Amino acid sequence: MITGFLAAAVRIASPLLLAAVGEVVSQRGGTINLGLEGAMLAGALAAALAAGGGGAEAGLLAAAVAGLAVAAIFALVAIGAGADQIIAGTAVTLGAVGLTGAVFRTAFGSAGTGPTLPMLEPLAVPGLWRMPLIGEALFRQPLPTYLAFAAVPAAWWVLFRTRWGRALRAAGEDAASARAAGVPVRRVRGVAVLAGGLLAGLAGGSLVLAQVGTFAEKMTAGRGFVAIAIVVLGRWHPVGALAAALLFGALQALQFVFQAMGLDVPYQLFLMLPYLLTLLALAGAVGRVRAPGELGRGERGTGSGER
Amino acid sequence: MRRPRRLLPALLAAAAGAAVACGGGGQREGFRVALVTPGSIADAAWNAGAYAGLGQVRDSLGAVVSHVEARTPAEQEEALRTYAAEGYAVVFGHGFEFQGAAERVAADHPNTVFIITSGERVRGNVAPLVFRLHEASRLAGLAAGALTRTGVIGFVGGIELPPIREAYEAWAAGAAVTRPGVESRFTYLNNFDDAAAGREAAHALIRQGADVLHHNADAAALGVFQAVRETPGTWIFGANADQAALAPERVVASAVIDLPRAILAVAREVKEGRFTPRVESFGLASGVIRFEVNPRARAALPDSVWALVVRVRDSIAAAAP
Repeated sequence: MITGFLAAAVRIASPLLLAAVGEVVSQRGGTINLGLEGAMLAGALAAALAAGGGGAEAGLLAAAVAGLAVAAIFALVAIGAGADQIIAGTAVTLGAVGLTGAVFRTAFGSAGTGPTLPMLEPLAVPGLWRMPLIGEALFRQPLPTYLAFAAVPAAWWVLFRTRWGRALRAAGEDAASARAAGVPVRRVRGVAVLAGGLLAGLAGGSLVLAQVGTFAEKMTAGRGFVAIAIVVLGRWHPVGALAAALLFGALQALQFVFQAMGLDVPYQLFLMLPYLLTLLALAGAVGRVRAPGELGRGERGTGSGER
Repeated sequence: MRRPRRLLPALLAAAAGAAVACGGGGQREGFRVALVTPGSIADAAWNAGAYAGLGQVRDSLGAVVSHVEARTPAEQEEALRTYAAEGYAVVFGHGFEFQGAAERVAADHPNTVFIITSGERVRGNVAPLVFRLHEASRLAGLAAGALTRTGVIGFVGGIELPPIREAYEAWAAGAAVTRPGVESRFTYLNNFDDAAAGREAAHALIRQGADVLHHNADAAALGVFQAVRETPGTWIFGANADQAALAPERVVASAVIDLPRAILAVAREVKEGRFTPRVESFGLASGVIRFEVNPRARAALPDSVWALVVRVRDSIAAAAP
């Protein structure tokens, strides 16, 4: 019972974590990418298209490339041309919703039944996966889950232990000073956004290849935006994002358990639970949270974000 | 085109108007039918079925057809108004949510027939099509009650709309007949798109002991099928379309709603001038609602259960108004 619940929590958390870690990197550089949802959706569709012919691994690769491509469009507009990040990101997501729908119908017909695709099977870590309680949740998962967990220390190392990471954070805190110190602000921000898009694409691909086994329009269902909330809840830190993603996954899994138990409580309360607690945690955490100084402000400091 | 015959007073205005509209402008020739859907026509269920119906109206009746997707109430009313102003003979508003908008528009456009699928009442030239899909869900429940070993069955719903709640209640009532004391559990996702959530909801039900599932969640149900495919010993009943192909060994049967057939039938009535505004309700008796058994899973249940399902189906059909 608890084993199954924990496994579900980790399954739900994995795509959120992938996308959120990428967004931590992006936001540490001062760029908020609301195109994340669009990148995930594009990743999901690309995974479905490529997995049909080339297998699940090819699907995962295609998902990463598609996420990268969508993030590149956002980067060109928001960083290259200095457009408002919120508007550019929203436009990218809306565009991706329309485009993936159109491509999906062209590829699979307007009747719309997605194909049944090859999937990434769970990979058991020998021995460890038999551990009581957490074995199933942590050591018998499909590849994207391990990638999500590996992304956390990787992002931490890049952000806090490399010269590039320091330059990125400088660009995110105070672009003018960073530029004076010789940091190519636009370039590091662009690379950070692309990395975030790649991870978001993988997140979308994991929905198709590790969870559902087919594509449905708008199947990301707002996960890109939840990932952005997780970044805030996780205080713009990869480890914080890990904790926040697991919390959200656990609450969502709990919500399904409560509904399935047939408790005599309105199910709407359970549906609210993850969002309600996220709000409460945000409100309670507000005192100590400080966003990167340049977040949302863009190259010329014309954004609407507050310092 | 064939001119509508003026059979009934209720049709008088519409028929006259249609004749005027068709005779008036050269560019507005032919029998024209429009469909407004509240969502994507690639949902493999509700909207896809209506769009397929529109295609049959074009092919079988030689109609000029048009479709538009309109998600918000304002867009929906505008879409209905535009088609009516263009002189379309029939405009389908595909869902309960179109009822109010159609009533507001219809008063200004007496020459157009507005059909509201899953609508609730007749108002002048606005008429509903009602689908009693729950009759087929009741049959699914009968089979599920006989099939479950654990005595627990589960239902995954999209959003708790009246037709979806009715489907759940009929499913639970059916199961209680063949398995007294059966535990019926349900989960609502609050959307029709999130297939990954559908899978988790199904797994949560399965962990609570459910071994037979049913749904009414459109695209989100794709995840429910995945959960059944990857859990040995579980079964599922499809909804809206014949979904046996989604899990050929595990789909016992599907509660099917044949939207193309219903849409073609009503469009044909209007074209032939036989249409009168009324509440047209489709159940098992009409053939629009069907219970399609998957031949490959038939052996999962003894013939006595299938015989019971057929008896109940016939009695529901015989009792239909």
